[in-house]
Amino acid sequence: MISVKNLIKNYGHGHSAVQALKGIDLKIAAGEFVAIMGRSGSGKSTLLRILGLLDMPTGGEVKIDGVDALKLAEKERARFRLEKLGYVFQEHSLISELNVLENVYLPAVADLANINYRKRAKEILDMVGLKDRIRHYPSEISGGEQQRVAIARALVNQPRTLFADEPTASLDMESSQIVLDLFRKLNRDLGQTIVMVTHEPEDRQYVDRVIWMKDGRIDNG
Amino acid sequence: MKTLLGNLKLAFFLAFKSMFKGNKWALGLIIVVMAFSFVNLIFTSSVISGVMATMDNQMINTVFSNVIISPREDKYYIERADEVEAKIRQISGVTETCSHLNSSGFIEYGWKEKGLPWDRVKSGNWNILGIDPAQEAKVTTIGHNMIDGQYLDETDTNSIVLGVEVAGGEKAQTSGFLTLGGVNVGDKVRVTYPNGIQREYTVKGIFRAREMMQADHLAFVTNREMVSVLGRPQFFNRASEILVRAENNGIEDSLAGELRSTGLDLEIRSWREYGGAYRSVISTFEIIGTIIGGTGLIVAAIVMFIVIYINVISKKRQIGILRAIGIPQNTVLGSYLIQALSYALLGIILGWFIIRLVLQPYFIFNPIDFPFGFLSLNIESSRIIGSAIALTAASVLAGLIPSWAVMRESIIKTLWGV
Repeated sequence: MISVKNLIKNYGHGHSAVQALKGIDLKIAAGEFVAIMGRSGSGKSTLLRILGLLDMPTGGEVKIDGVDALKLAEKERARFRLEKLGYVFQEHSLISELNVLENVYLPAVADLANINYRKRAKEILDMVGLKDRIRHYPSEISGGEQQRVAIARALVNQPRTLFADEPTASLDMESSQIVLDLFRKLNRDLGQTIVMVTHEPEDRQYVDRVIWMKDGRIDNG
Repeated sequence: MKTLLGNLKLAFFLAFKSMFKGNKWALGLIIVVMAFSFVNLIFTSSVISGVMATMDNQMINTVFSNVIISPREDKYYIERADEVEAKIRQISGVTETCSHLNSSGFIEYGWKEKGLPWDRVKSGNWNILGIDPAQEAKVTTIGHNMIDGQYLDETDTNSIVLGVEVAGGEKAQTSGFLTLGGVNVGDKVRVTYPNGIQREYTVKGIFRAREMMQADHLAFVTNREMVSVLGRPQFFNRASEILVRAENNGIEDSLAGELRSTGLDLEIRSWREYGGAYRSVISTFEIIGTIIGGTGLIVAAIVMFIVIYINVISKKRQIGILRAIGIPQNTVLGSYLIQALSYALLGIILGWFIIRLVLQPYFIFNPIDFPFGFLSLNIESSRIIGSAIALTAASVLAGLIPSWAVMRESIIKTLWGV
């Protein structure tokens, strides 16, 4: 469950300050698959980054599963990201020197509670359909496969919430469809909460709800 | 503790994957740069140290030996020299001794062709040492450095051996007018001693001890000849100085102390006390060596800083991703420190092999012919260890600064540069 109150984000100071988020209030229930949509500069990526604890807002409150996430110290935030959140970037987010399996189990190695990290990583890679690609390096697989590896990595520590920042933006139609089908499957089969920023209108068919943004505000009207 | 070990394990995993699964050429280049930085650090100081060691050895081997025993200031000679030598040889750490009966002498060559008596062409004043050739050969290496003719025999009375800087000629470093102008073996020279006695000698040999400041400016006659010149019986069994050879170089000071404790009423000094101008040359070299070493270390540290900085900057986005997915900041920082440390250690190991297997053998088989001796690298273990530690510390620091700078940036800036 994500609860956001009066979230404000300003860039710069004084006269040159730009208000990217102008007091956002929203709630995302556990198990929901939500898309955040809007034009470029509407503030959707800024919102996602703050929800994913990658950035700090200028003001407001973000509670994730009851935890006031913005009050956590830097180390605690990193720990929270590692254990409770998963993040899928737009592109090129894999570590080029690690093979598919290593990329996936990397966060699990850092999470010491996850002692069967290899087994878990293989299971997830099987789930995303990359069982036969575990020894390949990122440069040896397609863009769509890379995104599926990134999804597997985001899921390895069994996070409550998965954030995806335009995960299909750099993919062709077929690969995009595979990735979105995978999100849908994860959401339906595992009850995975997913918050995804997307530009593509056709992505609406995959999600439970769309949060429209315009000029730093939620515009669902 | 568990968390620390886990983070350390992950840091090592990331570091080694980044190094060995990344660009092999880049890895090789970084290690080679590190290796040559290390070689540069060792090589320059080893050459300077080699110069100093060669000069030291030459002085010990050709002029002073390890310890020099001379009469007290109010006396000119050591009396009953053979008894003193016998006593000295009893001391532990002494291997051999030899005595010198010294005099100055005005040496002339081609005097028959000279015009006026004050015409100093092909003549000059030099120190002439009366020696026991057999005993001398056990203490100094002059006898092994003959470039022409032969060394003295104990029975020689009308022969003289000249240092190359006395004899002059092509092999001398000194300007021709300050030498005898090119005496050859078999030529006659005339020596006028301070007591007025004049002797003609046949030049039996010419030596080049490669100690151009002192040894190569000496002339040798036998002790028997010198005693006869200075006058028997007063000068029989007298010595101007006794040279003492130690088992090892470097124990001179303790050996001199031990000799003093025997109660000999003589001046006992380590060869270092006679170093004089040499010592100032050597201390100048030491200063130069320290400056070059320090500069080399700074250059090596800067090279490493640039190499590691480029490495970190080129992987800035990757650092951002690692932080974004929750890898602890210290683990990411640790992985870059481990990489820096590994580059340094691999570079040092490669550099060490270059020094030991290439440079050192090369200089052993092809020593540089310096005026004061054949120069080889003097690679001291302490210098290798010190340089390795300094270089490792510099590389860790060079790795820490850029990594820390990137780590201090926000994840957003690291990932997207905004």
